[in-house]
Amino acid sequence: MKRYLDVYKQGMYSALQSAAAYRMNFIVSSLITLAGNILFPLVTLLIYRAGTSFPGWGLYEVLLIQSVFTMSSGLSSLIFGGVLWTTMSHVREGSFEVILLKPLNPLFFIIATTFSIDSVGLFLGGVSLFIFAAMHVGAIPVLFWLQFAGMFIAGTAVLAGLSLMMAAISFKWVGNSRISELADSVLHIGKYPLPIFPKAVQAAATMIIPVGMVGFLPASALLGRVHASDYAAILPCFLFLAAGIWIYRHMIRLYEGVGG
Amino acid sequence: MMPVIDVQHLTKTYKTYKRGAGMGQTFKSFFQREEVVVHAVNDISFAIGQGEICGILGPNGAGKSTAIKMLCGALYPTSGEIQVLGYSPARDRKRYVGKIGAVFGQKSQLIWDIPPIDSFHMNKAIYGIANPDFKSRLEELTELLDIAHVIEKPTRVLSLGERMKCEFVMAMLHRPDILFLDEPTIGLDVIAKVKIREFIRQMNKKQNMTCILTTHDLEDVEELAHRVIVINHGDKVFDDSLQQLKLFLGEKKRVNFTFAESVQGTVFDNAYTKVIDRLSDFQITLEVDTAHISISDFLEDISRKHRFSDISVKELPIQQVVMNIYENAGGVDE
Ligand SMILES: Nc1ncnc2c1ncn2[C@@H]1O[C@H](COP(=O)(O)OP(=O)(O)O)[C@@H](O)[C@H]1O
Ligand SMILES: [Mg+2]
Repeated sequence: MKRYLDVYKQGMYSALQSAAAYRMNFIVSSLITLAGNILFPLVTLLIYRAGTSFPGWGLYEVLLIQSVFTMSSGLSSLIFGGVLWTTMSHVREGSFEVILLKPLNPLFFIIATTFSIDSVGLFLGGVSLFIFAAMHVGAIPVLFWLQFAGMFIAGTAVLAGLSLMMAAISFKWVGNSRISELADSVLHIGKYPLPIFPKAVQAAATMIIPVGMVGFLPASALLGRVHASDYAAILPCFLFLAAGIWIYRHMIRLYEGVGG
Repeated sequence: MMPVIDVQHLTKTYKTYKRGAGMGQTFKSFFQREEVVVHAVNDISFAIGQGEICGILGPNGAGKSTAIKMLCGALYPTSGEIQVLGYSPARDRKRYVGKIGAVFGQKSQLIWDIPPIDSFHMNKAIYGIANPDFKSRLEELTELLDIAHVIEKPTRVLSLGERMKCEFVMAMLHRPDILFLDEPTIGLDVIAKVKIREFIRQMNKKQNMTCILTTHDLEDVEELAHRVIVINHGDKVFDDSLQQLKLFLGEKKRVNFTFAESVQGTVFDNAYTKVIDRLSDFQITLEVDTAHISISDFLEDISRKHRFSDISVKELPIQQVVMNIYENAGGVDE
């Protein structure tokens, strides 16, 4: 266990070193991700300015959803964001063996060595927007915070699962740079109040690919707008992550040539 | 002596799909793919003892990398058994790979954007190497390889030779019992090659470390190996001592001449010299049997008769080695 912690620490240190080696690149790419993700709450702002709204949801409530979404994405991509492109490049160059030479769980090793500092901008942007939105929605009781924390972690697990599934796909679709767009397109749903979507979409977004947990549900918890039934969506989140891990490991085994 | 590596009927087949050439074929392969089976390693058996340096020699595509990947536990065999240090490499991978070291000539284990020293620290964490051990080993290795001055520079600015030496440090910090090397000298200049071979010899002597290296360069094998396995198209075609291989091949070298004058019509063939290639009236490749005449005597002899502007002396190319083995063995089954 200590060994795994040491490896993770060393991985973070290396990531910081690499980022420092390309300081300009790091700053610019952080700003670009930040800008891309700050722009879309601005769209929300414009919608409300124009006098329209998502029925039943105030401006700050929607911003809260979107800030939680951004925080969750930022956190997930800090930790798991590098898995997709690293896997892709290893498979393309046939160098995945290098990972299998280490006496560690290969998935852990990849995660530990691809800590994506670039996403720190995204995460901090989400946090700022979150603080801003939370200050405008009234007092939030401690119980709601706890509920929020649980759901936020569950939502981040969904994103992690999605990252791993995309990375697993890259074993087969070597070099397909469109893979991440696939994930993004599914994720959009989490950025809006779920009730505005048709019932079938709502069901899928809580039970099958639980993207509702990425932004909408944790934010609802803060607003005291969750129902007892919403907690049932927590389990599928962790199942989703487990599925991501399972698929990824399965692809490693195929790569190793088990029965293949 | 108990072998540390025991390989029985090792076989690996890859299944791939044929990609047609040209638009029409490509279009067709989009819908209907033709399966191609590659027998990369074909029923190979051998055993290697503690402290041996064994060279696996073979032309490109012979199956060397595939074999070494299986020995390292990174690839499951299609069939056959491997036992190394009492482990089944692929099945016991996580426990097994902590006991071995590996350098893959074309696959770096260093982190590109940061100095090698940080990659070394990563391995320290991965293998749980204690601080004092890490310090003393790092010092020893960097001194032996003469790279103390490069390990703090970013990896991407290092020369290939410097990088390869750092790869060896990566592989050796945890004191592996066995070192696997896949084409460790590929693309290196002569000086770096010599240094790295010397390093391998020292590690082998000092730590009684077993070493398996693949190469398509006969020189690597001659300089390092006690034992040679030659594979071709996945088949083992030779497995014996280096002395035996030399007996098979004869002591031959290839000498490329660029003459300063036309040697058209000159006959070079004699008891110990054979013309291999006449590229032009100026450029000729001779094969010299160094059991009969030393290279220096031979060159002296030639230079008395002709003026030349350039020469190079080389080992037999691997294709020739394989051909000689087939001819000598006569009965080796394809
Ligand atoms: N992942 C793979 N999929 C399909 N064929 C492969 C794969 N890896 C190697 N091969 C084929 O197997 C044969 C042996 O390859 P390799 O072990 O790399 O040879 P060497 O290292 O001796 O050059 C070659 O014909 C190569 O094309
Ligand atoms: Mg090879």
